Amino acid sequence: MRIQNHPILKFEKGRRVIFTFNGAEVEGCEGEPIAAALHAAGIRVLSHSRNYKRPRGFWCAIGNCSSCNMRVNGVPNVRACVEPLLDGMIVETQQGEGAVGSGIDG
Amino acid sequence: MIKSADVVVIGGGSIGCATAYNLARLGFKNVVVLEKGYICRGSTGRCAAGIRQQWGTEMNCLISRYSIRHFEVMNESLEYDGDVEFRQNGYLMVSYSQKEAAMLKENLKLHEKLGIPVRFLSVDDVKEIVPVINTERIVASTICMEDGQANPFKVTDAYYRAAGRLGVKFYTYTEVTGFKKEGEKITAVVTDKGEIATSAVVNATGPYAKFISAMLGHDLPVEPERHQIVVTEPLDPFLRPLVMNFFHNSYCQQVLNGSVLAGYGNPDEPKGINYDCSWQFIKELAAKIVDQFPVMKEVNIVRQWSGHYGISPDGQPVLGTVPGVEGYYLALGCGKGFMLSPMIGELIAQCVAGQDTTLPIGILNVRRFKKGELIVEPAVV
Ligand SMILES: Cc1cc2nc3c(=O)[nH]c(=O)nc-3n(C[C@H](O)[C@H](O)[C@H](O)COP(=O)(O)OP(=O)(O)OC[C@H]3O[C@@H](n4cnc5c(N)ncnc54)[C@H](O)[C@@H]3O)c2cc1C
Repeated sequence: MRIQNHPILKFEKGRRVIFTFNGAEVEGCEGEPIAAALHAAGIRVLSHSRNYKRPRGFWCAIGNCSSCNMRVNGVPNVRACVEPLLDGMIVETQQGEGAVGSGIDG
Repeated sequence: MIKSADVVVIGGGSIGCATAYNLARLGFKNVVVLEKGYICRGSTGRCAAGIRQQWGTEMNCLISRYSIRHFEVMNESLEYDGDVEFRQNGYLMVSYSQKEAAMLKENLKLHEKLGIPVRFLSVDDVKEIVPVINTERIVASTICMEDGQANPFKVTDAYYRAAGRLGVKFYTYTEVTGFKKEGEKITAVVTDKGEIATSAVVNATGPYAKFISAMLGHDLPVEPERHQIVVTEPLDPFLRPLVMNFFHNSYCQQVLNGSVLAGYGNPDEPKGINYDCSWQFIKELAAKIVDQFPVMKEVNIVRQWSGHYGISPDGQPVLGTVPGVEGYYLALGCGKGFMLSPMIGELIAQCVAGQDTTLPIGILNVRRFKKGELIVEPAVV
């Protein structure tokens, strides 16, 4: 499902591109938010809550709430709701708080 | 509000709360703390809360060493319900130049003399302890694994609650506006909520200390200097020790919830109280941090704020009595007051009680500035 008609905004649909979500190939439109492409592909769980690890989905849609923080091309905590989709992107759900570099145990 | 007190402590930061607790423990029955805002409103609630013994003057080393002994047992000694989150993850000091390396070597001699377990590290050692660090320009570095960090809100809360149980009264949103004196003797503290008769006042207002001194006709050369800081979103643990870099004048540490705190000292910062935040700070800080930890370029900053150091002419604390004002005591950590607060609280309480102090604080008396007896602390950021 994508928004087709909006009273104020115009959506130019980009060309079809292929990216991966947790290793599986998904199709989306270039330049739309990653979360929009995931949503259109029926993917609803974008992250998990900190304490109880409950599923979290598309929520504020303006890059504020951190419900859609994902790992994109290896970079943690990318706001999938505002990050434009590019061909060949590697999108993954994140474990824990998100890892940078090699990581050590505390 | 209460009409009189044995001792009035001004300032509800870590030092004010620790001092009030220690006064009550030494048997003072009627101790009052006055805070113009809320507890932790000042530097304490804005600091990075790094704790280190790796200083370049004997007193800084000793006060922090003794303070660490307090932090180690604080949950128990203050019977705290929570956890002050003291973690000894180490403090890594990095230099890029021979000059700073010489200072680290000089300091190391002092640490050895005082029994502080500081180690000189090879570049390989540094890489092993902090795999994400850029070692390209590192000339020398030292680490002390007894050093670390604590939660400044919880440490202050622990002292606040323990003091409260011993009968200390706290008045928040109560600002000291003046004093009454007879000759050189203090007789009362004047606040915006009324007056408290007292003969002993502890100034624990951190960066505001000179304004309190001015009300007593005392010229205190401790200047407030703004320091900004940022915090990132939480990440999995990747940075164990706090890393201080003398070239960048910066520090960077990951705290318990996974967030990274980072800041740097701006040598051109004008003196004075200023709580503004600047975008230039974020820009410069980001460059300094990414140079040291290239992976940090992926990380989002979520907040920025500012607080103040109290800058003394020699970078050392200012403790004890004040010539010319009877009943007036200074309890000022000067830029490192959080890590020193457990001991400053103890020492000042002893001083007010007329007891021998655990450490010889005479050399940190404010008199030294007039006499020109400065012992300058070299290892500051
Ligand atoms: C960005 C930053 C990073 C820092 N990092 C570290 C660090 O890593 N380690 C470390 O040890 N230190 C650090 N510091 C320094 C440290 O924060 C301070 O030295 C320490 O918190 C001082 O504690 P304090 O109790 O003396 O003063 P404060 O916490 O400043 O408390 C003073 C209180 O006095 C109150 N007050 C002022 N005037 C009046 C008045 N007229 N009447 C009533 N109340 C008044 C204020 O509201 C304030 O709450 C840092 C500081 C900053 C700003």
